[in-house]
Amino acid sequence: MPSKAISFSGLLAGVALALAITPASAKDIVLGASVQLTGSSANTGRYYKDAYEFAVEKINEAGGVKVGGEQVKLALKIYDNQSDVNLSVRQYTQLVSQDKVDFLLGPFASNFALADSAISEKYQIPMIQGGGASDQIFSRNFKYIFGTLAPASNYFGSTVEMLKGLDPAPQSVALLYADDAFDVSVADGTRKLLDDAGLKTVMDEKYSSNASDFNSLLSQIKSNGAEAVLVAGHETEILNFVRQAKSLAVAPKMYSFTVGVPSEDFRKALGADADYAYGMTAWLPSADNKDKWFGDAAQFADAYKKKFGYDPDYHAASGAADVEAFAQAIEDAGGTDPAKVRDAIAKLSFDSLYGKIAFAENGQIDLPQTVIQVQDGKVVDVYGANGVINKPKYPMPAWNAR
Amino acid sequence: MDLLAQILINGILLGGLYAIMALGLALVWGVLNIVNLSHGAFIMLGAYLSWYLYSWAGIDPFLGLPITAVLMFCLGYAVQRGLLNFVVRGPMFNTLLITFGLEVVLTYLAQLAFSADFRTINPSYAGNSIPFGPIVIPQARLMAFGIAILLTVAMWIFLLRTRLGRAIRATAQNLVAARLYGVDPRHLYAVTFGIGIGLAGVAGGLYGTVSQINPYIGATLTAKCFAIAIIGGLDSPLGVIVGGIVLGLIESLAILYVGATFGDVASFGVLVLVLILRPSGLLGKTT
Repeated sequence: MPSKAISFSGLLAGVALALAITPASAKDIVLGASVQLTGSSANTGRYYKDAYEFAVEKINEAGGVKVGGEQVKLALKIYDNQSDVNLSVRQYTQLVSQDKVDFLLGPFASNFALADSAISEKYQIPMIQGGGASDQIFSRNFKYIFGTLAPASNYFGSTVEMLKGLDPAPQSVALLYADDAFDVSVADGTRKLLDDAGLKTVMDEKYSSNASDFNSLLSQIKSNGAEAVLVAGHETEILNFVRQAKSLAVAPKMYSFTVGVPSEDFRKALGADADYAYGMTAWLPSADNKDKWFGDAAQFADAYKKKFGYDPDYHAASGAADVEAFAQAIEDAGGTDPAKVRDAIAKLSFDSLYGKIAFAENGQIDLPQTVIQVQDGKVVDVYGANGVINKPKYPMPAWNAR
Repeated sequence: MDLLAQILINGILLGGLYAIMALGLALVWGVLNIVNLSHGAFIMLGAYLSWYLYSWAGIDPFLGLPITAVLMFCLGYAVQRGLLNFVVRGPMFNTLLITFGLEVVLTYLAQLAFSADFRTINPSYAGNSIPFGPIVIPQARLMAFGIAILLTVAMWIFLLRTRLGRAIRATAQNLVAARLYGVDPRHLYAVTFGIGIGLAGVAGGLYGTVSQINPYIGATLTAKCFAIAIIGGLDSPLGVIVGGIVLGLIESLAILYVGATFGDVASFGVLVLVLILRPSGLLGKTT
């Protein structure tokens, strides 16, 4: 018994040690963040840790950041918030008040960014976060929060555009969304988009985050005959949704999800059942996105996959862009004074692997969402700012006809 | 009307899945008086075990269930023998603390071992459905339901009719008398906990076949199992089936008629009602 207890505690100590990464020398510019490395959001949280580390490594390899004629290296301080919002707020407080980091990078997810941005505002330390898209984060006139995800309210913007042009266009739409900050923002925006497009909404239903049973909602979709189904939720919910849609033989003409489709492990978990699912991404690993440090987005994606063993999606690209935005802004400001860097961030305008980084007045970036679809196990971009890119597979056939 | 019928079918099948998840928890609680807060974590481990058996060894998830059950039984036996037996006669608070700690350790070890990737056990027939007029019956859920009924009845017969089952019940009822008749309680406790964990393993395999697996599914499953065990009562495995189906139906109907955020509100509301009106469960003996 005692030896068991010791080996467990030894293991836990090992884990704790492993998390204290990247020793910073006195002169380094330290970026602090609290990220979901364990707990229910760990699956997406890891994108941010990996992207932050990769970007810092790459920038340092190129000599670091130029401050007043001197090359200074970047360093990272990352805590694991265990997917707990309250813990993440405490950790950001610790980062600025005790660890005295220079600047803040964000956590994953809107509800985290919403709470954590109160810390950056209070201490007037700029935070650039690539994990929270909810419009709520940017509607409070905060001056020190910047975001590199496109606004939640417009996640389904390009999808709704596409719906109008489909042949035959879906006659009725069902909108389902989870009850958290991001998904509620998505739903509020989408409702308006659907109204403007003149599409009839036959179902508009909020569900509990982490719901695992969608049989009731799916049966209602079948019963009200919704032809297009738009779901704003989390990956676990969407996995369950698709699996249960199949087992109840519910096949609308199309369904689209805010998350999941761009992620490799989502498609792996579903296998062939992932086909026909639509999603959206503000980022594709295209060579058109030139980057000062990585060359371009395609090279970034290759190097990332080689280094971490999985494909990056827009979360990772957004996280890497946050680090680059700081590097650029610090050079522009010519120092690390938080207020000056804050103003430099607000004025940023540069091309990155993630796209053009330029923040609007409220601190949020605006990038068009490209509609993507899983076709034969591969993600295909089907609809973008300039209309159809590749032909969408529409309508989705019945499950037993695949 | 079709919709209501479909929702009722959904609820009953969901209830079967719930019942098999809660069966082991109720057994351990009833016999050992341990509220095993790590039960959901063992369901998670069982799900991963089935996933590996299916993805690596190519064993059909339903045919692999006995293997999962046996391996999980051994694990449960070892945990009881090497850990829980030391506190089983202590205050309930100690067992709560230990099993809670076990849940945390198992969850985080699972993330280290399996990563936080989402997985599904997805054999070709997992999404099949049987049309029944306008109603559709999901095949995997029906099979899970069948297994739940089968195991519950088997458990009931085992506890009532077999020598070992009687010894387990005797130990729970009167430890001194059972000892006088030559029962070794440490071994029996471990067997009981092993059976509970074996059942959790089976539940995990079935859960992975209809839902998704990640290291963090345990805690919510424990809460659900806890509610089912209370609603059904701890006296008989049949109570667990009733508790599961009641909960499945209530959740499904609440989502249809009240709203999709009210599933949990309804199920835990029923839990509170049962605690007030029938504290020993719907099928429990009133004292």
